[in-house]
Amino acid sequence: MKTRFPKAAAHGLAGCHTCGKVSPVSLGRCPRCGSRLHLRNPHSIQTTLALVVAATVLYIPSHLLPIMTVTELGDVTHNTIISGMLWFWRSEAYPIAIVIFTASILIPLLKIVALCWLCAAASGLVHPSPKALGRIYWFTELLGRWSMVDIFVVGILVSIVRLGNYMTVIPGPGALAFAGVVLLTMFAAMSFDPRLLWDQLDELSSTEPPTNTPKP
Amino acid sequence: MNRILARTLNAAMSWPKPQVHRGQSVCHFCDTLHEGCHLNEGMAARCARCGALLYENQAGSLVRASAFSLTALLLMVLVHIFPFLTMDAATLRRELTLFGAAGALMKDGYQLLGTSIILFTFVAPLMLAGGMLYVCLPLMSGRAAPGAVFVAKLMYRIEPWNMVEVFLLGVLVSLMKLAKVADVHFDLGFWAFTGVMLCTAAAVSGIHRDELWDRLEVARS
Repeated sequence: MKTRFPKAAAHGLAGCHTCGKVSPVSLGRCPRCGSRLHLRNPHSIQTTLALVVAATVLYIPSHLLPIMTVTELGDVTHNTIISGMLWFWRSEAYPIAIVIFTASILIPLLKIVALCWLCAAASGLVHPSPKALGRIYWFTELLGRWSMVDIFVVGILVSIVRLGNYMTVIPGPGALAFAGVVLLTMFAAMSFDPRLLWDQLDELSSTEPPTNTPKP
Repeated sequence: MNRILARTLNAAMSWPKPQVHRGQSVCHFCDTLHEGCHLNEGMAARCARCGALLYENQAGSLVRASAFSLTALLLMVLVHIFPFLTMDAATLRRELTLFGAAGALMKDGYQLLGTSIILFTFVAPLMLAGGMLYVCLPLMSGRAAPGAVFVAKLMYRIEPWNMVEVFLLGVLVSLMKLAKVADVHFDLGFWAFTGVMLCTAAAVSGIHRDELWDRLEVARS
């Protein structure tokens, strides 16, 4: 069965990643901007999964190790991301606590789960609708960057809170691990090719003719 | 006088749109091939299958992109002159700047984090706004600046790493954290950076990527 929608790849055409021009993939490079042409991102699923696994491994130390150490009048406290969030919650700054919870705990976790789910769908293990998956993909690309907020907060506090013996803040190894999580998930989302989701749908509809739909 | 101004403005705004027939276009999301059609100003084409935006023909796109990126560049100067936050604690006064935050992390042995702050909040917006202005301004008179293809490629590659708005949220969170310890208030740098955020966003969304490349192709041939 042929679908209503012609695929560029079926005609040997590729849309350039950089400038959008449609040209035959046999040219190798885009005639307009010189970027490499691919029908699909090469090794998209493998690269995405590898980066997601690396991000998952780093996710654990990023929440266990302190992201900063505050010394207040000789009193040393190690702050993790979670303890920072709880501090805001206890001091009744609920909106900020929710922002930190969403940006630093929920989004990286959701991103890891979403990318695994997308990879599973792209390799044909599960069959949800590509439209919904496309929305998930768009969402993960959009939200990923906001997780950097905690790294920026550490940088800002370290730079501004240098009050001699009264109070100082120094960064901790958790910040490095957390930045790793954010960057790796961003790279993972970029290397994932959403077109694979639609390829799966077409393959499904071509192998399973719509005879098994119940007739009234 | 008014008429001349109007005519110049008109010429700048409606420099003939690319004459090349937009042959085919491919959806980035689902790889569906579409036959191109002529789009009037202000219209957009969406993918018939997944609904993703294919192409947009915005009115005055070059003028908007150049004007907003120029504004962003000018505001960036203010960002680096004035601090974001000023903190008064007892007799001490501390000021926060972008490079101060990055430098503090580097001094404490976290070069990677310091570099990423500079990259995401200084290099990326600068290259985005600067590149946009460099490409779009000469295009208004139908010329391509030398190396415009390279600059445009770089600009679109660095776009997802522009984290100006995230840094602003970070400043807000830090302010809340410090409010109990000391007397902290916003300074001009914060407001200028908010302007940078709005202007770069407006510049990037002012011209569709494919339109910029179409115009560049016409100008170079």
